[in-house]
Amino acid sequence: MTKMKTKLKLGLSAAAFAMVVSVAGFTAPAGAAALKMMFQGDPYEIDAISDAAKRFEAANPGTTIELIHTPHDSYNEKVGAAVSAKQLPDILELDAPFLSNYVWSGFLQPIDSLIDKKLLDDMTPSNVAQGTYPPDKKLYATALIDSTVLIYASKKQLEAAKIRIPKGVDDAWTGEEFQAALKTLSTQPGVKWPIDLFRAYGTKTEWIPYGYEPLLVSAGCDLINRDTWKATGTFDSKACVDATTMMASWVKNGWVVPQSAGANQFYADGRPAALAWGGFWFYSEAAKALGDDLLALPLPKFGPKGASPNGTWIYAISKTSSDPQMAGKFLSFMIEDQKYQEAYKAHSAYPGLKSFGAASPLYAPGGPMAVAFEQAAKTAVPRPPHPAYPAITLAAQVALNNILDGADPQTELTKAAKAIDADIADNDGYPPFGKK
Amino acid sequence: MLLPACIIISAFLLVPFVMSFPISLTNQRLIPRPYRFVGLDNYVQVLTDPVFWQALWNVTRFTAMVVPVQCGFALAMALLINQKIPGRNFFRGALFLPAITSMTVVCVIWGTLFQFPTGPLNQIVGFLTLGMAGPIDWLGDPRSSMPAIVLLSAWQAYGFQMVVYLAGLQNIPADLYEAARLDGASTWQRFRFVTLPGLRQTNIFVLIITTIQAFKLFTQINILTQGGPRDSTNTVVQYMYTVGFVGQKLGLASAVAIILFVIVLLISLVQRYVLRDRK
Repeated sequence: MTKMKTKLKLGLSAAAFAMVVSVAGFTAPAGAAALKMMFQGDPYEIDAISDAAKRFEAANPGTTIELIHTPHDSYNEKVGAAVSAKQLPDILELDAPFLSNYVWSGFLQPIDSLIDKKLLDDMTPSNVAQGTYPPDKKLYATALIDSTVLIYASKKQLEAAKIRIPKGVDDAWTGEEFQAALKTLSTQPGVKWPIDLFRAYGTKTEWIPYGYEPLLVSAGCDLINRDTWKATGTFDSKACVDATTMMASWVKNGWVVPQSAGANQFYADGRPAALAWGGFWFYSEAAKALGDDLLALPLPKFGPKGASPNGTWIYAISKTSSDPQMAGKFLSFMIEDQKYQEAYKAHSAYPGLKSFGAASPLYAPGGPMAVAFEQAAKTAVPRPPHPAYPAITLAAQVALNNILDGADPQTELTKAAKAIDADIADNDGYPPFGKK
Repeated sequence: MLLPACIIISAFLLVPFVMSFPISLTNQRLIPRPYRFVGLDNYVQVLTDPVFWQALWNVTRFTAMVVPVQCGFALAMALLINQKIPGRNFFRGALFLPAITSMTVVCVIWGTLFQFPTGPLNQIVGFLTLGMAGPIDWLGDPRSSMPAIVLLSAWQAYGFQMVVYLAGLQNIPADLYEAARLDGASTWQRFRFVTLPGLRQTNIFVLIITTIQAFKLFTQINILTQGGPRDSTNTVVQYMYTVGFVGQKLGLASAVAIILFVIVLLISLVQRYVLRDRK
């Protein structure tokens, strides 16, 4: 009921907005455009984006960029609401795994021909992959950055506890070694929790499937079978039950920072959390507190092969854009803007452009985060690029969160797998998917 | 004169509600796509989903806890500020403050108070019990999560009921109290036999309104727990939000909305019947 109310209200304001736009369009000079961009981000990103937009407006008289900053929590739901209210902006930032759903839903357009050729050639393969819709292999989104997750540790602490420090991705900790390390660390003085899995990020973000799926993949299963697009038999398989039982045992042992303790226990006073299973963005805040003592290590191998996540927030152009050419021009301008890139570099942004990678000493060979680059090249596994992703992520979040809270793994995973398969069946397999 | 009100109410309440019924019979998605009529499938799916029943049980538990706590506290405070005590206007204002604070802000503040293991509330518990009671993971433990939500909800919202009670109290003629006093009635007797009967209509209103509000529990849950841990704080509206906005199933969410409407309507009717004037 409430929802319908909102929808109607949005619809009415959309109508009002359309009237304003048509009047404005009538008076605007030729070659000018009024663009809207919906995005999310930290305060430094808002500044960087606003400044880039101002510079673009100065360079293109008559064109205006209206920025719609939207909070990170529940962002994907807001995109859905904007689409159903026909209030889509020209440019929208989106979370990479949702791309397939959005393209399938039909409100994005390919950007290959809209953005700079130079930018196109500069994108890393992983960046291209996260912006590509598999059925038509066209590029729908781009960004300056990409992402990965690492284990952060204190060098001194590991040495004091006589825990082996991996040199690179090839000699990453095995599952047994990792669990032994947690056990050892739990007895070290001052350690309240051996690891922070960032449960504080909660279920309103993509953290759970993003941060934890690699563990499942490495242990030999997945959220969904990527050939048959069926979750039953994969997400509820023995490998996943065992892997999630293992994760739940860490929580049960009191090794994991609880959800309500916040996301700063790794570097808070007295360093209550010994390790942190965190995204690239965590590096800059942790480095501020730990300095040279901070170690970035590859994610452990829970089976024969390691796995790590990729994908981040990327920019796409909507089908309803009033001026797609200008939107593409602005996107290229913003991403290639020097000051914009500097702002991201200062926050340990993980490069999604080759040129940006070469200019980031942090990620260069020998740099403190070099292992992140190596890991992305060797073990990155994107989240399932399927239009059912909203249903997949919802089911996975509920199941994994409940299991960590002590629910029975088999029951939860069976329920989740059924929910995913039911959603795919409800949508007749999301054609053209499932038709090989 | 009534026309503007009628237009606004029908545009924002009636039309959307009536619209959600046909939508609930389709598999319409949040992001518009071709959809088809699915009959009562959505209703069957909701009513056979154990998570929905858990959510319904949770709001029932919540209502059973929050209505007495919130209304009882509101009545106590209303009695207090109805006295001729010094600084009465200050207390009236101060006690009403939480009610005009946005629930979102209240949630952020209480989220900090509830922090585990070193939040202020846990420090108070530790201090009062001389460290015997360990820190409680208020929102992270299925046993304490719902009572914690009850506590903060009652604290935020009691101001409204307090004002309604205060108005009710001021409607009770002073001569009734005077007569009771002359008859030698004690304070308790005056409360029991003059105040409570005098508040009868107010009570009915407050109980029904509070129950309806309690059944729509959402904001606190969405901000603080998202229904966790292990669905212990999941509510019907949170469930509706999740299937509609996160799962993108508008048809299914509309079916939940209709079911919730019917449930709330039935409860209000039963309450009215039970509390009806027997004279």
